[in-house]
Amino acid sequence: MNCQSCREHMAELADARLDETGAAAARAHIEGCAECRAEFESLSLTLGALDALPCRPPSHRLRAGVVGHIETEKLTQRNRAAWASSIRSAAEGSGGRRSSWLPAILSALGAAALVVLGFFAGERTATQRQLAELRAKVDTMGQLVEQSVLQKRTAGDRLETVLTAATVRKPDERAIDGLINSMAFDPSVNVRLNALTALYSHADQEVVRAGVLACLPRESNPLVQISMIDFLVATKAREASPELAKLVGDDRADADVRDSARRAITLL
Amino acid sequence: MLAVRDGNLDCMGELFERHHGPLFGYLTKLTGNRASAEDISQTVFQRMLKYRHTYRDEGSFTAWMYHLARRCASDHYRKSSSAPVGMDSAALEAHADDARGADEAAASRDDHALLHRALGRLDRDDREVLLLSRLQELSFVEVAGILECSVGAARVRAHRALKTLRDHYFQMQKETLP
Repeated sequence: MNCQSCREHMAELADARLDETGAAAARAHIEGCAECRAEFESLSLTLGALDALPCRPPSHRLRAGVVGHIETEKLTQRNRAAWASSIRSAAEGSGGRRSSWLPAILSALGAAALVVLGFFAGERTATQRQLAELRAKVDTMGQLVEQSVLQKRTAGDRLETVLTAATVRKPDERAIDGLINSMAFDPSVNVRLNALTALYSHADQEVVRAGVLACLPRESNPLVQISMIDFLVATKAREASPELAKLVGDDRADADVRDSARRAITLL
Repeated sequence: MLAVRDGNLDCMGELFERHHGPLFGYLTKLTGNRASAEDISQTVFQRMLKYRHTYRDEGSFTAWMYHLARRCASDHYRKSSSAPVGMDSAALEAHADDARGADEAAASRDDHALLHRALGRLDRDDREVLLLSRLQELSFVEVAGILECSVGAARVRAHRALKTLRDHYFQMQKETLP
């Protein structure tokens, strides 16, 4: 082996990636060549230092972002399947006539708008009955509204809308309405979390606290659930105690969520 | 990844847990910036999901992941329209040093900072080939595949990049001597 060939294989030799014959030939050359020996030692030192460079683990932002994206994709996949299935059944049910899914979606959107109007039209103090009705509507409308959202815009677009709304200092009712809607119905965890964060600035409004409380039981993502609980504690929403107690007693709920709910009850 | 391609998206979480650490480490060294490395890592996993239907059971998953990472890093540079800087104080913190003596830890941190700066002085292509060649889970054949060049060319480029890094690193060490 000559110097040039030996130097080309030095990194592999240092990593023990060379085959036995090649490694033996390179070592023999290095033994007899002072220049190549010095070269090998300095390169090995550099490689060792490079490999030993420490790297702290990434922040929780990376995991939250990727997990949120996976959840969004799973929901999209489920909705696509449900969408195709509903179109098929509508087509079969109508014997070849045009399916009736569009009016159903439109009426669902109308009903969802009523839900939001209900926030504003309600009394300043939300009663238990109103909250129960609100929750029922949120539960039944959720899937249909999610489908309509998915048909229109990407998660990135929706996130941008939420972030823009969050920068408005004195948003009107429509902007607050949009943020509550996003927190309640958006299939993306990222979007829901950012909508909730944006609502912090308007926590003095009864409708905002009532909205968060109404959405808590239907929320399935632990990250968002814990953020909602933090919100209720930060805004001293004592009316949330019964709902939090239910979460504490729910065996299916995430352990961290139940812990947060337990702590929240104590703090409230 | 084959399960993900076939619709089992729960497996994507497992892939993330298994691979995000080395990928993030590679991108941190490549960009010299933790925030950029996080952004690019996130984009890589998003694209894995988006393009899962294109995944073929040819070669290793890791090679495919770093192939995506290369594209994502290029897009990132294009968008930010600036070359990465080799210094990011947050990237240089070394938890492994905590257990050692203060002087030794400080010296080690200085040494790490020097090497980060030396890496920052390399051309992006050189830094890329060198860091890819240091990944134990990739063979040179796979590195060549990711860089879309021959195995011989990848080997020569990695060697040249290593020599350049060594020269910068040793020069900086000399300059910092009292």
